[in-house]
Formats: sequence, C-alpha cells, structure tokens
Amino acid sequence: MTAVAQHLRPPGQLRQGWRRLRRNRSGMLGLILITIVVLTAAIGPWLAPYAPNDQSAMLSFAAHGSPSWAHPFGTDRNGYDVLTRVIYGAPTALAVGLGAMLVASLIGVLVGGISGYLGGLADELLMRLTEFFLVIPVFVMILAVVRLFGIVVVGTWLERVPFLNLSTIVLLLGLFGWPPIARLARAEFLRLKGMDFVEAARCIGAQPRDILFRHILPNALPSLGVVIALGIGGAILSESMISFLGFGDPKAISWGQLLYFNYQVLRVSPWAVLAPGGAIFITVLGFNLLADGLSDAFNPRLKQ
Amino acid sequence: MGILRYLVRRLLFSVALVLGVSAIIFFLLNAIGNPVDVLMADNPGITDEALAAVKAYYHLDAGVGHRYLIWLGNVARLNFGTSITTNQPVGGMLLTWGGETLKLQIPAIILALLLSIGFASVAAMRQYSRLDFGVMTSALLGHSLPGFLLGVLLILIFAYWLGIFPSYGAYSTRNPLLGSTVIDGLWHMVLPLAMLTIFNTATLTLLLRANLVDVLRQDFIMAARASGLPERRVVLHHALRNAIIPVLTYLGILFGLMLATAPVTESVFTWPGAGALYLAAIQALDYPVIMGETLVITVMLVGFTLLTDLAYVLIDPRIRLD
Repeated sequence: MTAVAQHLRPPGQLRQGWRRLRRNRSGMLGLILITIVVLTAAIGPWLAPYAPNDQSAMLSFAAHGSPSWAHPFGTDRNGYDVLTRVIYGAPTALAVGLGAMLVASLIGVLVGGISGYLGGLADELLMRLTEFFLVIPVFVMILAVVRLFGIVVVGTWLERVPFLNLSTIVLLLGLFGWPPIARLARAEFLRLKGMDFVEAARCIGAQPRDILFRHILPNALPSLGVVIALGIGGAILSESMISFLGFGDPKAISWGQLLYFNYQVLRVSPWAVLAPGGAIFITVLGFNLLADGLSDAFNPRLKQ
Repeated sequence: MGILRYLVRRLLFSVALVLGVSAIIFFLLNAIGNPVDVLMADNPGITDEALAAVKAYYHLDAGVGHRYLIWLGNVARLNFGTSITTNQPVGGMLLTWGGETLKLQIPAIILALLLSIGFASVAAMRQYSRLDFGVMTSALLGHSLPGFLLGVLLILIFAYWLGIFPSYGAYSTRNPLLGSTVIDGLWHMVLPLAMLTIFNTATLTLLLRANLVDVLRQDFIMAARASGLPERRVVLHHALRNAIIPVLTYLGILFGLMLATAPVTESVFTWPGAGALYLAAIQALDYPVIMGETLVITVMLVGFTLLTDLAYVLIDPRIRLD
C-alpha cells in the first residue's frame, strides 16, 4: 500500500528542483567549482606541499621565486610557498562566507518572516528597520571598527581570543548583511501564507509554530537559497577586500592577506598575487553560478 | 496622495535615516574607545594633566550623547570639524579628495550605461545566437571577476608588461606626459576608468538583457512587429524604453556607492581620492575625517535612493504614491 502510494506520489518540490538544477549548465559548473574549494579546504593539510608557516625559502634566497617543480605557484616575498598558502586560505574563506551568512540568515529570516506573516504594524516597523540597515555603509564602517578594535583590545583578555580580528569581521558582515534576506523572506512568507495548503493546515488546527516552520519555511527555502548563495560569495569577497586593504587578521591565512602582502611587489612576483586572486575569483564565481542555477531550477516559470 | 505630500514624507524619512545611521556610527566608534585614549595608546609617557587638557580641547570630557549633539550642530552649519592629522577643515578635504573620486566614477557609470545598452540590445535582438551567448558569457565573467582583481590584471598587463599606461597615481610627479598636465591626467585615468567601466558594464548588460528579453515577449511588441516595423526599431525604440526602467534602481545604487567603493579602487591604483583619504584617516585614527566621510557616504546612498524613487514616480504613472 505504502509502496504504491509512494510510487504514485509526484516528486516533491526539492526533488524536482534538483532534477532541473542537474540539467542547468551554469548551476552545475557553480556546484563543481564550490566542490573543488570545499575539497581543498577539507584535505588541505594532506594536499599542501609545505607547512603553512614554512618560510625556509627566505634562508636560501628563494623568496620571490618563480613557479617551479618545487613551488608550483612560486614563493612570495615572505618566503612562503604560494600554493600552500592558497590551499590553507580555502577553509578561511569558507568559514567567513558560511559564518557571516549563518548570522545574516538567522536575523533575516526571523525579521522577514515575522514581518511577512504578521503584517500590519509589526511589518511596517520591521521593514523601516530593514531600510535603515540597508543604507549603513557597512564596508567602510567595518574597516574603521576593525582598526579601532585592534588597538583597544591590546592588553586585555580579548587579545588571547583566537582569530579575534577575523571573527569580528565575520560577525559584522553577518550583523549588517541581513536586509536583503529579510526582504526576500518577507515577500515569500507573505506569498505563502495566503496559499491553500497553509489555509488547510490552519483549518485542521495546526499551531502557528508548525505553520511557520514546517509549512511556510521549507517552501521559502529555494528562493532564500539564491540570496544566501550570493551572500556567501559576497562575504568572501568582502573579507578579501578588507584584508587586501590591510585590515585583515594577521594570524589567519586568507587569500586577501596574501594579496595585501604581495601587491606591492606585483611587478617582481605576480604569481603571488595572481594565485590568491584566481582562488577568490573561482570561489565567488562558483557561488554566483550556483545562485543563478538555483533561481532557474526553482523558479522555472521565470525562464521559459 | 499628492506628489508634494509624498515628496515631503520621503524627504523627512530620508533625513531620519541619515541621522540614525550617523548616530549608530558615532556611538559605535566611541563605544570602542574614547578617541584620545585610542590615540594615546601609542603614547604611554603622556602625563595626566596633558591628557586632561587634550580631552577638554576636543570636548571629550563630555558624554558621548552630548558630543554627538555638538558634532551634529556643527554639521548642520556645514562645519565638519578639523582634521586631527592635517589641521585642515574636514569639509574642504572631502571636497578636494572627493572630486578626484567622482572624476573617475561619474564617467565610468555613464560610459558603462551606454556600452551596456549597445551590448544588451545586440544580444537581445539575436536571442540564443552565438553572439548572444558570447556577450552573456563575457558579461557573467566580468560581473564575477571582482573589480579590484580586474584592476590588478590591467596594471600587470598594460602598465608592467606592455608599459603603456602608468600603474599608480593621478598625475606624474614630474615631467608630465607630452608636457601637458591635462593629457598627463587623462593618461593616468585610463586604467582605473577602464576597470570601473568594465565591471559596471558587465552587470548592467546582464540586467538590461534580462529585462529586454522580458519586454520583447509582451503584446505591444508583437503589435509593433505586426505593424511591420524593422526589428532594430522595435528593440531600440519600443522595448529599450521599458527595459531600462528597472535598471534605474541599479544605476541609483552605483551613483550612491561612488564614495563607498572608493577605498578598494583607489588602493589598487594609488589614486588620491576620497577612498585613499578614508583609509589614511582610519590609519591615523582621525575621527573627524572618519565621521565626516561616513556621513557624506550615507547622504549619497540615501539621496540617490530617493532620487531613484522620484524618477520612478515621474516616469511610470502606474506607481501608486503611498
């Protein structure tokens, strides 16, 4: 009986979307690029030819070394093996992107969801708050906050927190990056709360909590996934630009840091800039393409 | 609701937004540390009397709220304070350095709009052709290549390898090109301008082409085609007008973000603009400059958003004012 019922049941929204995503060229390319980055991050320590802090090239006058068999991407001005540093930058980038978007999606879905579901005065107030957060110049503000914070913590217990600087950047990117998610979540909750299946759930006496989290939220996820994927790429890019400007975490190995340390000697050792630059490009492109594919796969009516 | 009432309401809300954002940034920066304490962190030898005198000079003995009101009162009279590092009025500094930024940003946005109209029309006219595919692939790549990495590539290729353009600065320190400071200035503008234009063009082309394809499916286009108009005229005359309206939002954002995105652009090209000024101010902990510039950035963002909304109301009579 159940076997028959399952057989007759049409594939769910997620499964249908996944099927369309698999046929979507840009979406799959994005997924492949992201997989490469994730795999690099996961098996990095076994993949990297040198230790992350190995500066021994400095001792043998081999800093600024051009790509060779010993150093496939060359060495940089500090004597680091560029390939090793790029590999160890992958987990940092992913942690930044996922961390920032985790914070941003929690706030965004909460604010947008409440706004769309309740409507009325709550909606009005929360959307004004969102508009307010939308015009805060986040990037320039983060630069100032990171710089000042770096001075103030000297001599306090905060100084011993590992990756304090990086965590501050991630937290700020999340705390100020939620407005686009909130806007979309509001639109989705508003659209879904009027649909028949939500009405049906309400008729059989489902609790508001169940309606919100078991009926509306899962159906809003595909659209939210598009903004979140874009946001992950955006957060990674922001962190690289912050680090490129010299406000990154000196204790963390990140692609932006590599750019910062080697940009001044671009003419002498371009590989030390091109390699981390390429890594940033691949990662950001991967998330952009995935977002593109997701939006095609889950909103097929938009693309005929 | 009348257009005048709408205007006044939007204007009031915009002012409230700017005030709110400036308050948040002011309190955030001061919550991290009292400016003088932060400055003196590098100067442990200072005596308590000297410290108190400095604090009194900058009104830092007052509470944060009080100081915000003093600052706001001065700003209302267009007095942005005096830079701690250069001792010059912050307003004048922002004008000089900001001018150098706008010199790049405004032409870049206008050029990008013109180029993207061309690319998007060509792509949409031959939808799904090889040409369309080529234009869209390059646009997607250009959109995904972060602007500052594009800048690095341009410098590497055109300044270092080919040696055509200078790699940094807005002017030569001596011996201007061809003996003319104007030509020299323009020559220095080429690479940063190219970087901004390419990046903006890519994104605008993606947006415009998507809108054009959408508009080309509508009934009035079919009517225009049925009346025997050539495809060129249908696209450029009838479709483009409607396709460009949604792009206004993005144009507004581009104009609004002109100063906000400057730090990265200007540190790639060592360009002496508002972004470089901001970075220097952060390094030197020059609070008046930091506050003044973040305020100007916020005003630009809010102002251009407001202008965009007004443009929609004027262009599209279907929009309800509420």
